[in-house]
Amino acid sequence: MSTASYTPPRHPLPPPPPSRGRSRAAAKRRPVARESGGALAFVVAAAATLVCAAPGLAVIGMAIGAKGEMDATAWKLLGDALLGTITLIALGGAAATVIGAGAAFLVSLCRFPGRGVFEWLLAAPLAAPAYVLAFGYSSLTWAGGPVPLPLTGIAGAAFVYALAFYPYAYLSTRAALATQSAGALEAARMLGAGPRRALIGVALPLARPGIAAGAALIAMEIAADFGAASHFGATTVTTGLFRAWYAHGEPAVALRLASVLLIAAFGLLFVERWMRGRARIAGGTWRAPPKVKLSAPAGLAAAMFCGLIIALAFAAPLGWLARLAATRPASDFDELGRQLLNSFMLAGIGAAATLLVSIAIAAAARASQAGRAALFAASAGYAAPGAAIALGALALFGAAREMGLVGGLSAGLAVFMLVWTYASRFAAAGAQPIEAGLLRITPSHTGAARLLGAGRMRRILAIDLPMAAPSAAAAALIVFVEILKELPATLILRPFDFDTLAVIAYSYASDERLAQSAAPALMVTAAGLVPILLFTRRIDTARPGTRMGGR
Amino acid sequence: MIRIVQARRVFGGAAAVDELSLDADEGEIVALLGPSGSGKSTILRMVAGLESLDGGEIRLDGELVSSVHATIPPEARRVGMVFQDFALFPHMNALGNVAFGLEALARAEREAAARAWLADVGLAARADAYPHELSGGEQQRVALARALAPRPRALLLDEPFSGLDPVLRAELRETTLAALRKTGTTALFVTHDAEEALYVADRIAILKRGKLVQAADPRTLYDRPVSVDAAAALGVVNTHAGVVAGACVASPFGAVTTELGEGTQAIAAVRAEAIGLKLGARALVRDKHPQGATDLVRVEAQGVVWRAIVPARAAPEIGASVDVVIDPAGAFVFSRE
Repeated sequence: MSTASYTPPRHPLPPPPPSRGRSRAAAKRRPVARESGGALAFVVAAAATLVCAAPGLAVIGMAIGAKGEMDATAWKLLGDALLGTITLIALGGAAATVIGAGAAFLVSLCRFPGRGVFEWLLAAPLAAPAYVLAFGYSSLTWAGGPVPLPLTGIAGAAFVYALAFYPYAYLSTRAALATQSAGALEAARMLGAGPRRALIGVALPLARPGIAAGAALIAMEIAADFGAASHFGATTVTTGLFRAWYAHGEPAVALRLASVLLIAAFGLLFVERWMRGRARIAGGTWRAPPKVKLSAPAGLAAAMFCGLIIALAFAAPLGWLARLAATRPASDFDELGRQLLNSFMLAGIGAAATLLVSIAIAAAARASQAGRAALFAASAGYAAPGAAIALGALALFGAAREMGLVGGLSAGLAVFMLVWTYASRFAAAGAQPIEAGLLRITPSHTGAARLLGAGRMRRILAIDLPMAAPSAAAAALIVFVEILKELPATLILRPFDFDTLAVIAYSYASDERLAQSAAPALMVTAAGLVPILLFTRRIDTARPGTRMGGR
Repeated sequence: MIRIVQARRVFGGAAAVDELSLDADEGEIVALLGPSGSGKSTILRMVAGLESLDGGEIRLDGELVSSVHATIPPEARRVGMVFQDFALFPHMNALGNVAFGLEALARAEREAAARAWLADVGLAARADAYPHELSGGEQQRVALARALAPRPRALLLDEPFSGLDPVLRAELRETTLAALRKTGTTALFVTHDAEEALYVADRIAILKRGKLVQAADPRTLYDRPVSVDAAAALGVVNTHAGVVAGACVASPFGAVTTELGEGTQAIAAVRAEAIGLKLGARALVRDKHPQGATDLVRVEAQGVVWRAIVPARAAPEIGASVDVVIDPAGAFVFSRE
């Protein structure tokens, strides 16, 4: 534009400035320029923290205060449960970590046929809950199945965990490689290191914290899983607490098992955070590391390895479930409609309540230190297994009933406790994307809006909410799907005769009516695919340099 | 007009802005020039009402807007600001951004006014584009139009060109200057680029560690700096500490005359462009860096190195022995007492 074309302004004038009297009054009302919100943020943060932490604290508090001696049966259950969980973490967790990290190294550092597709497909099994894979495999291998294998007990559960949870190691290793090693690997190659030395001397040490963070997440998931362990009849801390509560009628034992589970989960959360912090030392941006072209046979082997993972973790069990579902008569699906509606209703209410807590936490975290504490409390809730949290909610209910605060366990009360459990568990899952969204609103955006005359209400309505809306929608979707997939808490707390897709899939499967459980199990998985398809895409396009990386 | 009187702002015990007084008359463009940490952005934020005062006061058109006791909030000040990162609202298109400050107008008028402002900065065709679809220069122009649209009493510009490449910078400097002149807007302009300040400003305020070093029009500032800092703010300066003897301070490169009293502890400051070189015996040419129209030459005498900026091609070769001629118009002596 040339300056010569500049014409004098011909715009209508805005209204006259506020009169002096008014300005003075305004100045008196607000003695400082920075609007105070600290006290409000503190109250909001404290309330949100309470919502998230109460069930977990109740479990630990009541386990300490619980009456009732541990008899021999109880001790044996505790021992078996601990041994089962530790064995599963050692076997299934190790296998999942090796598979996930190995696949991440292959797709990040090597070039082979189909690499681009595999890089993306390898995250897909995250959509299927472990219990769905367990149903798929038992229908494949048990009586009448096409692959007669004794897939049951600890071994069966470990096998399923390796396939269900490897994506955690895959994603965190891939992220560590992409954010850390691009520059370092290029430097190593230019300093004369061959591919082998670059891999062992540079890429592996740089990715180690990422791998460890993924392993900790996997261990957390294994410890928390109920559906697959219960289906294969493996005794773990989670199935053990169910047995103590329902079969043995020993709430004290159940609470003790639950607190063991919670403490283990917090320990693992700490490890995960610590490792994730170390993986981010260089705080690098996302850049694809240089790739080595594999020879034809090696490339084929790599492609087959990735293909096999996807076949085993996704295609085979889900394909078989789909085949089973297709054999069912149409009348099966009448029932399913109601359960689908139930699931959506519950997930909708749960997601709405959770989102309120998430927004409160994210907004408070932005405003104050107390808010950061709330964010941490929420992530502790996210690490806590659903079964333990649900037990905490029940224990709180029991205590409230003893004090005469509430009557019997009505349907409304059950839904309230269930929604509370969801909020406690998933508030962090929602708060993280919302917090990231709020970070986009910089102080200069707020300053610009103020200087353009926008008061607090207008800023909230015209700037803050619209700018945070996309991430809030993403958070809502993530929480909705998490609730849809959630099994143990729903199983414990749902109102009588109120079945959701996850619950009905589990009940049919535990009655060995696997063909009938196939359809609801697949529907849960399909819902799980939505956020993965949506967000991996978005993350991929948002990443700098992807357009060039496609070459 | 903007009147800042003895303004003070303390962060964690250290004064970011210290007893600073500065005026900008109606329609005047004043540049705040200083390195990072000199408090220039804090001053802008205080005038904007985004930062409160720990001392002093600020008046806009005579109205007291900031004092220790009260700060009129930014939304009630009618002050515009172009932020360093532009701070465009990402969920609104260019038109929406410009119209944001025109809330008081009826819908049709508002849109017409916003379109007219976009046309004024040459972006009539980009009204529907969202910030992420605009280039850096286009974003800057939208930010300028948005800040000017509500006809502010003063416009504040926080290093508005710092993120842009040099060619674009020069072009946007023209656009911005033209818009300010035509609207007669009083402007405070933060920059750490001396050339930009000299080009744009009616007056330049040189800042150092929260204090005002000197404020004057560009000519006065260049010709009559009040201190070494003031002289160095506008270009490369060579210094030599000494004692006034015979109405001058003797440096290894020659004497600089002064009116300071005999025996005063003083420091001589000589602009690099006030040094002429001719073949001789006093100094040695150490090295030479072409800068286009000029060369930067390092000369050494008695172990001291000075920098000279001389017309290209006229510079002597590296290793040559030279005499130094100091132009008194670019040579100053300041007391150290």
